[in-house]
Amino acid sequence: MIKNKTIFARILDNTDWLFFISLLFIIAVGFISIYSASINYMNPFKFITTQFIAICVGLFFVLVFSSFNYQYYKHFSGYIYIISCLLLIAVLIFGATVKGTKGWFNFGFFSLQPVEFAKIMFILVLSAFLDKYWREIRKFTTFCKALLILGGHIFLIMLQPDFSSTLPYYPITLILLYAAGVKIRYLLSIILYGGLAMGIPLFITFINLQPEVLQSSQILSFMLKAYTDLPTALIVLLSISVLVFLIKWFMYKLRIQMPVIYPVIFLLLVFAGSFSSIVVEKSLKEYQRKRLIVFLDPSLDARGAGYNVIQSKITIGSGQIIGKGFFKGTQTQLGFLPEQRTDFIFAVIGEEGGYLISQLTILFYLFFIWRAMIIARNSRDRYGSYVATGIATMFSFNAVINIGMVTGLMPATGLPLLLVSYGGSSMTSSMVAIGILLSIHIRRFIRD
Amino acid sequence: MSWSDDNKTTYNFFIEKHKNILIFFIFMFAVLSLNLFYLQIINGSYYKEIAERQRLNTSKERAPRGLIYDAKGNILVGNEFGYVALFYPFEQHELPSQDTIEQLSAILKRDINPEIEAGLKYKRVIQIADNLSLDEVFQIQEKKLFMPGIAVTKIPKRKYFNAVENCHVTGYVGEVTQDEIENMQEDNYRPGDFIGRGGIEQAYDKYIRGIDGGLQLEVNAKGQPKKAFKYYSPETGNSVFLTIDADLQKVAYEALEKSTTGRGSAVVIDVKTGAVKVLVSCPGYDTNDVFTKKYANYLRDRNLPLFNRAIQALYPPGSIFKVITFIAAMDNLDFDPSHTEYCTGSFELGDRHYACWFKEGHKTVNLITATAKSCNIYFYKLGLKLGVRVLEKYAKMFHLGQQTGIDIPYEKKGFVPTPEWKKLKMKMTWLQGDTVILAIGQGALWVTPLQMASMISAVANDGIFYTPYLVENIKDPKTNEVLYQHEQEIADKLEIDMRIWKTLNKALTEAVQNGTARRTYFKDLTVAAKTGTAENPQGVDHAWMIAYAPAENPELAVAVIVENGGGGGTNSVPIAREIFKKHFNIYDETDKIENKDVKKQNLKQKPIKENL
Repeated sequence: MIKNKTIFARILDNTDWLFFISLLFIIAVGFISIYSASINYMNPFKFITTQFIAICVGLFFVLVFSSFNYQYYKHFSGYIYIISCLLLIAVLIFGATVKGTKGWFNFGFFSLQPVEFAKIMFILVLSAFLDKYWREIRKFTTFCKALLILGGHIFLIMLQPDFSSTLPYYPITLILLYAAGVKIRYLLSIILYGGLAMGIPLFITFINLQPEVLQSSQILSFMLKAYTDLPTALIVLLSISVLVFLIKWFMYKLRIQMPVIYPVIFLLLVFAGSFSSIVVEKSLKEYQRKRLIVFLDPSLDARGAGYNVIQSKITIGSGQIIGKGFFKGTQTQLGFLPEQRTDFIFAVIGEEGGYLISQLTILFYLFFIWRAMIIARNSRDRYGSYVATGIATMFSFNAVINIGMVTGLMPATGLPLLLVSYGGSSMTSSMVAIGILLSIHIRRFIRD
Repeated sequence: MSWSDDNKTTYNFFIEKHKNILIFFIFMFAVLSLNLFYLQIINGSYYKEIAERQRLNTSKERAPRGLIYDAKGNILVGNEFGYVALFYPFEQHELPSQDTIEQLSAILKRDINPEIEAGLKYKRVIQIADNLSLDEVFQIQEKKLFMPGIAVTKIPKRKYFNAVENCHVTGYVGEVTQDEIENMQEDNYRPGDFIGRGGIEQAYDKYIRGIDGGLQLEVNAKGQPKKAFKYYSPETGNSVFLTIDADLQKVAYEALEKSTTGRGSAVVIDVKTGAVKVLVSCPGYDTNDVFTKKYANYLRDRNLPLFNRAIQALYPPGSIFKVITFIAAMDNLDFDPSHTEYCTGSFELGDRHYACWFKEGHKTVNLITATAKSCNIYFYKLGLKLGVRVLEKYAKMFHLGQQTGIDIPYEKKGFVPTPEWKKLKMKMTWLQGDTVILAIGQGALWVTPLQMASMISAVANDGIFYTPYLVENIKDPKTNEVLYQHEQEIADKLEIDMRIWKTLNKALTEAVQNGTARRTYFKDLTVAAKTGTAENPQGVDHAWMIAYAPAENPELAVAVIVENGGGGGTNSVPIAREIFKKHFNIYDETDKIENKDVKKQNLKQKPIKENL
């Protein structure tokens, strides 16, 4: 290290400028789009003023968190977890209800969504846990403990209830566990379980939307019966068990060795998943299930659950190659596009900026995530690598779920596009995450 | 470089996972990019079109249909204007909200729910109420802001003058059906549009329709107009000028209405051109009432007012067919018209009796007097001499059993029986008895009044057939540019000697002067005519009459039928007389005297059945 340089000069030297340029581009595009989506209001500057303040506060957080040594989080991870849980509990008690969800602190002049910050705290805590138990990482108990950490947050968020906000947690947990080296079969098991628990109710909702398909198909109507009628369901599960053991016996004949515990666990997971699906079905309302599945064919409920998806696709598609020009998008300006400034901001970019700008936004986003992954690779310790991976996962899955929803590839969920969507909480919390990333980046050469 | 507190292997282990994760991220973003490419570049124009369609709302202004005039320039069909309330669906609302419905009901003071339900089938704009008063229009406009999606527009409505007598010529308009929209895609009809039904309205719909106009507006997602783009003023449809003489039409209809049964038809054709001056079917219906409850009454009416008898009803021609037998005999047999037969009032063929309508018998008759007095015996014998083949040939020569080709739809073509047909359908051989009754226009011979008018017109014209037509020309109402002009065309010319036409003319004139058609006798006008009383297995005989005048230089050919009217001479001839009187401006006074004379004569002579 060159001693005579100031700290500030050292920071400038070690800063990844490409990373900053992509970040600035993403934020700028979002900022213009928010302005474009609000010029028809009484006070067109209201939203961008809030956003501007959030960006400034966020940049301040970037400075603070990048200069703070991230390694301290590791030592206080227990407290961080408790604080995050307290935040989530506090919002259940003191929070304001917005659109049926009690997820906001209302401070009068601004409101705060604690789940955005809890998510980052969760990454810090889970990384610390995986770092601490890295020697016992392949043990089943470690896996279960990690799931417990996840479960605490999920439980508290579902009490709000805010299903959408829990969505990034699952990929973050899975990817972090995978990166830490948890056995793949544990991860596959949990995916199978979750897939069954979520998938069955959604699948049934989807067939229920198409009565004519139901009439023409014997298999589908049988499946619907299995879903509503317990004896039929047991018959189905029993026949699946028989089938699995037949395969096992057949493989035995073919001299393929396999411990008998595998099919047993598989079947247990199928049973558990199927029965958990009843709980999921009860906890999700009809319109929510519809909204989650209707993206497969929005025309099934074109003026109801499918309306947002249809309008969003029209908005993006009609932008064509060069777009209609900023502030000139008809879908945006005439209000056909719902939730323009928040969840569907990407459609505004697609319509007004066309393929060129929207593809560029995606590329810069990917570049930004790639830089985050580079930071993970170059971190000086395991903890830094895990945290950076978790943050990269958070950004990329938020983007994939959001852009996927806007372009009709994924279910309609209320997840913002981080760094682009309007919203103080998501902007400042993203900036905090970036600050932590930079903290890891800056300290990559330091030896203890 | 990294992870100083660990050994190299765990770090490498992480790096391997790290690489997979990164590949997975890149893969997901690649999918997003591909989908974006698909949406914006491959399907971009499709979505652009949808976006434009939902942004631009054309508030349609329906074009008035073209006017229809008669030959003298009287308006037969015009337009009047009314106001309607419409609902335009917007955002997620297919139907007006309950609040809107309540407010509208309060203004209109009636229940509008049935209209909304009826309008739902079109899935787009719903007509909520029509015939709004100006007061209601202003009230709706005042509260428009509180009733999203509701708009008031002015629409033209068809107005028919003298509707009842002209109904079968003009036809009426009705809303286009879903099937028609699909079948006539190139004509670009949309739900709620009007299309001609029957008559001129249907046949010349594409000329009459006009081009709808409207105001193209940019609307936001709530259906509120934001900006006006273009205004297209609706273009009135083209004016149609008919050959119909509305005054004559009225006279004919009134005369038919006063006849014994009030059912029948009259067709008048201009001999020199084929222009149809009168085409009446009685009873008619009021075309202005087609969308009211009266329409159901028309459907139920046993007199079938919706049925266009002039071109659709099939009757046996009866004695008026003798005109064709007459020509067949003279042309084919080189028959001497002075050849006489003795009519005893009955005729025997095998073991069957065929009676003459005049039971006492006509005594000695030649071809001229037999035609004038409509002696059946004479024509039975002629029929036997000619045989069925020749009769069939001459019937078809006079275009029986085929459409005349008049320019309104649904014309029937009638039927000429043949031995083959009888064998095929009735499994019986053709007998001489069939030939005999065919010679006097009975049996399975079916003709329309229009065919008979066309036939007598050709007779008057020495064998020249013109296709009867109703539309003289069609003009653009603004520029007066002629878009369609009927072209005079000889449809057919019969190769028959002039001598035969002269003789027939003499025979038909004789029928007016001394024969069965005495009631069309005028001092100053020579009329040539033939009456007929067609036997009809279903009931009372049909009264027929065909005529042309003046006999020396024919102008007008007339065919009249009174359905179940009885004798042709007493029932149909007066109708033709009214038509001639009106057309040739013959004074009433002389008429009345003549009429009385004729009546007196008839009272003395008239048997129950006048002529068969």
